[in-house]
Amino acid sequence: MSGVLLLLLVALLLGAVFAGLFCYAVKSGQFDDLDDPPERMLHD
Amino acid sequence: MSLRTLTNPAKPAARRATPAGVARCPHCGTAVEGEADAYCCGGCAMAASIIHGAGLERYYAERTSYPPRPEPVPAAWHTIPVESAPDGTVSTRLLVDGLRCASCVWVTEQVLARTPGVADAMVSYATGRATLRWDPSRTDLATLAARIAALGYRPRALGDDPRPDHDLLLRTGLAVFAAIAIMGTYEALYAGAWYGGMAPRFAALFKWVSLALATPVTVWSAAPFFRGAWTGLRHRILPMDLPIALGIAVLYLHGLVATVTAVEGYLDSLVMLVALLLIGRMLEARGRRRAAEAATSLVASIPRTARRAVRGGGGGGDDVETVPVEDLACGDQIDVGAGEEFVADGVVTEGTGQVRMALVTGEAAPVAVCPGNRVVAGTVLLDGALTVRVTAVGTATTVHAMAQQLHDAVDRGAGASGSATDRMAPWFTAATLLAALLTFGFWWQTGLAGAIAKTVAVLVVACPCALALSEPLASAAGLGATARRGLLFRSGRAFLALGEVDVVALDKTGTVTAGALTVTAADDETLRVAAGLERYSHHPIARAVVAEASARGIPLPRGADVREEAGVGISGTVDGRRWTIRRGSPGEIILRDDQGREESMRLADTARTDAAGTTAALKALGLRVVLLTGDHPGVAHRIGGNVGIEQVIARADPAAKAAWIEGLRSRGRRVLFAGDGVNDGPALASADVGVAMGAGAASSVLVADGVISTPSLAPLVAGVRASRIAARLVRVNQRFSLLYNALAVGAAAAGLVTPLVAAVLMPLSSVVIIWGASRVESTLRKEER
Repeated sequence: MSGVLLLLLVALLLGAVFAGLFCYAVKSGQFDDLDDPPERMLHD
Repeated sequence: MSLRTLTNPAKPAARRATPAGVARCPHCGTAVEGEADAYCCGGCAMAASIIHGAGLERYYAERTSYPPRPEPVPAAWHTIPVESAPDGTVSTRLLVDGLRCASCVWVTEQVLARTPGVADAMVSYATGRATLRWDPSRTDLATLAARIAALGYRPRALGDDPRPDHDLLLRTGLAVFAAIAIMGTYEALYAGAWYGGMAPRFAALFKWVSLALATPVTVWSAAPFFRGAWTGLRHRILPMDLPIALGIAVLYLHGLVATVTAVEGYLDSLVMLVALLLIGRMLEARGRRRAAEAATSLVASIPRTARRAVRGGGGGGDDVETVPVEDLACGDQIDVGAGEEFVADGVVTEGTGQVRMALVTGEAAPVAVCPGNRVVAGTVLLDGALTVRVTAVGTATTVHAMAQQLHDAVDRGAGASGSATDRMAPWFTAATLLAALLTFGFWWQTGLAGAIAKTVAVLVVACPCALALSEPLASAAGLGATARRGLLFRSGRAFLALGEVDVVALDKTGTVTAGALTVTAADDETLRVAAGLERYSHHPIARAVVAEASARGIPLPRGADVREEAGVGISGTVDGRRWTIRRGSPGEIILRDDQGREESMRLADTARTDAAGTTAALKALGLRVVLLTGDHPGVAHRIGGNVGIEQVIARADPAAKAAWIEGLRSRGRRVLFAGDGVNDGPALASADVGVAMGAGAASSVLVADGVISTPSLAPLVAGVRASRIAARLVRVNQRFSLLYNALAVGAAAAGLVTPLVAAVLMPLSSVVIIWGASRVESTLRKEER
């Protein structure tokens, strides 16, 4: 029981960390323009 | 009368000596006579010196498309609103026209970034938007706009631009995250049940974790559906969101009770469905945003200026100051030169000229004006030079008033009826509730718990998720496919209506024809000399002559000492002889040499190159094509004959055009009207589908359902095809989802649907719909071959 509980908690915590990162990425505008950055890379 | 010397005696440096012959301008690619590396005009030499000065020579090696020839953009850039940042910099977004290759975007961005005072410069290839941030104490927007214009690209001011929807993305992100996690917990539950039971405390643990995952998804991610259902109810309509919200609520409440009482629930289906519905919404929103962005690009305008005459003191001559159009007041005197647009209504006080009224009256032939005549904003002075006393500005102008009336009329008509799917919603809700009641009534005698379980199963599988996704997704996919081909639609409904039209009425000037002068008759030698003079001018006739010479592959000779006299003509030296170009009879210009010999060239507004092909393609799709114009019958029949339109209705004023369309509609025909002018507004508004030409009057763009963003008619054909494909897909999908729902409800009523069956079936039906919508583009490509 305690093993499963620990694994569940760790999994959910990890998930929450990634959800938080996703929120940060959206709010800082990283998903606003998905077309130009690949083009831009070719010129640098 | 203004007299300008156009050629600069100082020639650009850095040139190799090569045999005289044909060469291309190294910047804009126009064929010119003379040595290689000779620039065709001062503008191109300037652009090249900017690019070389910034160390960006790579641009010339890597570009895949020539830029337009640079032209100055005199504009009141300081009237554009900017956003201030805490660090003292300001930012704004501009639209940049003419960016046709990735290198063009790169060079514009680099030149801007290297301008002193610029903190940040980003140019988007996908949308043509430049995001600029600069230090207002060191530079200003006018300088930056001038830098863009100097390269040959055209900056324009953007109005309200749709912003990306962060909220929807976050809600979807959470739902997808929860869906993946809940798949794990429910997999454990199903596996446990399959292999003969798991310890009850583990089952309870996984159920409580699932509930913890499903709660934020129901409360926060699914909130748009509850909001939509509530808004609909308040306005006394039953939207499609209502049965969805009902389904989600039943699923969640059942899951809550099931977790507490330790029976099987449907929480995994719930989270999966919300995630799929939100993904569908996001795809739809993205399609709409692309179309809205493109539409914003079309109405983006250059903040215009006027030259206001200021009475000089002491009886001397007048001074002229350049002011933003917003600062003009009634009674001001403004100077208008050849090729300029009138920015206000007014009365001519001095000078004569010819005015192109096409956007207002639809007549291609210019109208002569003299002191005392009225001119209206939006028309263009073809040649001559006028001083005009302003009688109305801004929103008081004739054009604006006409546009506003039409806009109001269209707004009143819209919004009454929802989509076909929304019209199904009340029936759907009623049928679902009826099925639930019957199920409960039928199983009631065999036990309350069993009856409730089966009723819940009915309500759960009746959730019309696939049905709700089918129309928005198909029309969003269709909107995207037509937008890529140059036809933008404001709403999915207008787009779906396009496939049902059976009569296509086309305006002549600016729609079937290019709406600009082209040379129709001139011999090559005359054209060569004329182009040698006209290449230095920005007059509409000059552009037509240079364009024709370039089209015929005639290298432009180098004119020397070229002088343009506004309203009179242009003169200069080509091949060592002195030439003048003067206006002849209407539609004619005359080239005279120093011996007095004359050659004439004719100019007219001719049919677009793809007009005949488009007409044929529309006919092949089974549509009747009609030319509906305010112009004279002679001209109308000639153009109609050229492009293969037999039915021509000429001399139709704006009201007559609208009445003709209304007449057809009252006989049950569905009419598509395409036009470009202010005079086409009533017709655009009264047609089933009105399509405006993007280069036309802004007011017609506002009234129309759709806009053609490229200078061609062919997008109409792609639009009709795409609309028919999308409509077919919607019909198939609706039948599929109704059949699925009917079968699933029947199975649930019979007690055959367990949570596992629901978890497989329900998302699968939605995925089938999403997959179907993704095939619109490929089906259209197949039909176009």
